[in-house]
Amino acid sequence: MILKYTLKTAITGLRTNKSRSVLTVLGIVIGIMSIMLIASLGKGAQNLILDQIQGMGTKTIIVMPGRQPKGASDSAQMFTDSLKEKDLESLMKKSNAPTIAKIMPVVFGSDSATYGSEIYRMTIFGASSMISEIFDLSVDKGEFFTDEDIKSMADVVVIGSNVKDELFGSSDAVGQRIKIKNRSFRVVGTMPKKGQSSLVNFDDIAIMPYTTAQQYILGVKYYQRLIVQADSELNIKRTVKDIETTIRNNHNITDPEKDDFHIETQEDIASRLSVITDVLTMFLIAVAAISLIVGGIGIMNIMLVSVTERTREIGLRKAVGATESDVLFQFLLESVLLTGTGGAIGIFLGATLSFLIALILSNVVGLSWEFVFPLSATLIGLFVSAMVGLVFGLYPARQAARKSPMEALRYE
Amino acid sequence: MKIIEIKNLTKIYGEEEAKTIALDGVTFDIKKGEFVAIMGASGSGKSTLLHVLGFLDKHTGGEYYFEGKKIESYTEDDLAKLRNNKMGFVFQAFNLLPRTTVLENVKLPLLYSDIQESKWEALAMEAIDSVGLMHRLNHEPSQLSGGEKQRVAIARALILNPSVIFADEPTGNLDSKSGQIVMQTLQHLHEEHGNTIILITHETYTAEHATRIIKLHDGKIVSDEPVKHRLKATQFIK
Repeated sequence: MILKYTLKTAITGLRTNKSRSVLTVLGIVIGIMSIMLIASLGKGAQNLILDQIQGMGTKTIIVMPGRQPKGASDSAQMFTDSLKEKDLESLMKKSNAPTIAKIMPVVFGSDSATYGSEIYRMTIFGASSMISEIFDLSVDKGEFFTDEDIKSMADVVVIGSNVKDELFGSSDAVGQRIKIKNRSFRVVGTMPKKGQSSLVNFDDIAIMPYTTAQQYILGVKYYQRLIVQADSELNIKRTVKDIETTIRNNHNITDPEKDDFHIETQEDIASRLSVITDVLTMFLIAVAAISLIVGGIGIMNIMLVSVTERTREIGLRKAVGATESDVLFQFLLESVLLTGTGGAIGIFLGATLSFLIALILSNVVGLSWEFVFPLSATLIGLFVSAMVGLVFGLYPARQAARKSPMEALRYE
Repeated sequence: MKIIEIKNLTKIYGEEEAKTIALDGVTFDIKKGEFVAIMGASGSGKSTLLHVLGFLDKHTGGEYYFEGKKIESYTEDDLAKLRNNKMGFVFQAFNLLPRTTVLENVKLPLLYSDIQESKWEALAMEAIDSVGLMHRLNHEPSQLSGGEKQRVAIARALILNPSVIFADEPTGNLDSKSGQIVMQTLQHLHEEHGNTIILITHETYTAEHATRIIKLHDGKIVSDEPVKHRLKATQFIK
């Protein structure tokens, strides 16, 4: 039987019961639309997170105290004070790690700042003057502190936009003094709004020389992070090795199992986060897929009704020479056409909706969110919807194909 | 040449107490070019006989040779193929596809044939012309009279030039005038084109348009005779 005519018959069959066809296919439309939406938003969220990480530069390596946690119950806190000034100094020596381009120690904590009667709780971030380069930060007024300030443990801070707004309102903050832990700090710079979704929220932050933060705010002698930049992406592996060797030497560690520090590269973080978002997306897609099964049962139900209604037609077709496989193919094509159309509509609606959501997220909410057209989900969606038609159409189509022509012709 | 040869054919429905014997040892031959009417009251087994002869149903005993070959030697798909190119069916209830034009309805058997699509249009036109419905080509069944519907069904049965046309009470749903036109069409096909026709009817005067009448009663043949005074359908039309 020629495909063109089978297709025509299938279309006629579906058009005869227009509203029934539309209602039947709604389940598939909603299922595929949800999958598209989840896939697109999941990918958008993943890109957003990865962008944030890559904002720190792909050459960045983070050294953390404590060994690599091996599970949720693993206490990685045992050696939180393991990174000391000595480690920083030896890593800065070119003989130990020639491929390190920049290295910055970081300490952080949380405390309140007061200005006049205003009080605001924020993150205290102790860093070196390299912070602006490493985190791609800028000031809209004033400037970042200098290496001189680090050496002298100067009482200077650069504050994020929320801190500035909360403490100073619309008046100028640069040159003013705020109090943190009863110590007076001079505001040397204010940063413009960075957006809320950074891994570190730079809007709610006060950045000061790490020496100052260690001495006067946190009262510690160690570093919570050493942020390293390799001179080239190609040298990341080598840099990691050099850092490991240097710190192990400093800490007299011979067995890598007993490391009291661990190292993460951008790649590690990105791949770990990708795995998390991928798993979440897959989970949500699996939930959405349940609606496809429900939709499929609806299709099966309606196809069975259709087969019964058209019993005489089936009888006639068999009488004029249709084989079982001709009849089977005709009804299968009809259900695949039904679900395939539903899938196409679902893909269109899903893509449109996720485009609109992306538009809202980027323009109204202010995230740097980009619309992602999930090509793989589109192809899978089309394939799955056709498969739903095939699987759930098979039973009714077999019922049709197996009808005896005589019984079918006699059917009233 | 014998197109159909049946020997001691039986058809039994159900089992034990629910057992119904629809055909009880029927034997006859039908030769090419015959116009046979199978007559009987309702329940006589005439429809069952037509279904078995047309491969729409299976007999339960006896032998059936179609064009000299025993039908047990055919697969289901072979039988479908034979129904397609050796048989044409005309039913009491017309059985046209709704919302489908006359032209498309007549083409239906071609969909399942080996004939090239490029020839379909011409074949369908020829068949429709032979039943005199060229002016109704693009009408749908709902726009046709009963008699016209049945002539569309005849055109559909004719399209692949079958060895035998089965007509199951073709005038049963028609008024007498439309019925006469249908009978005239069948007689015309028989006389002008030499088609073999097997007609099922319970009316004597309809049966007398044929050349031979087989009468059935309770699944058995009670008489099998040529028609002595054959009626010409045109005689009834004024």
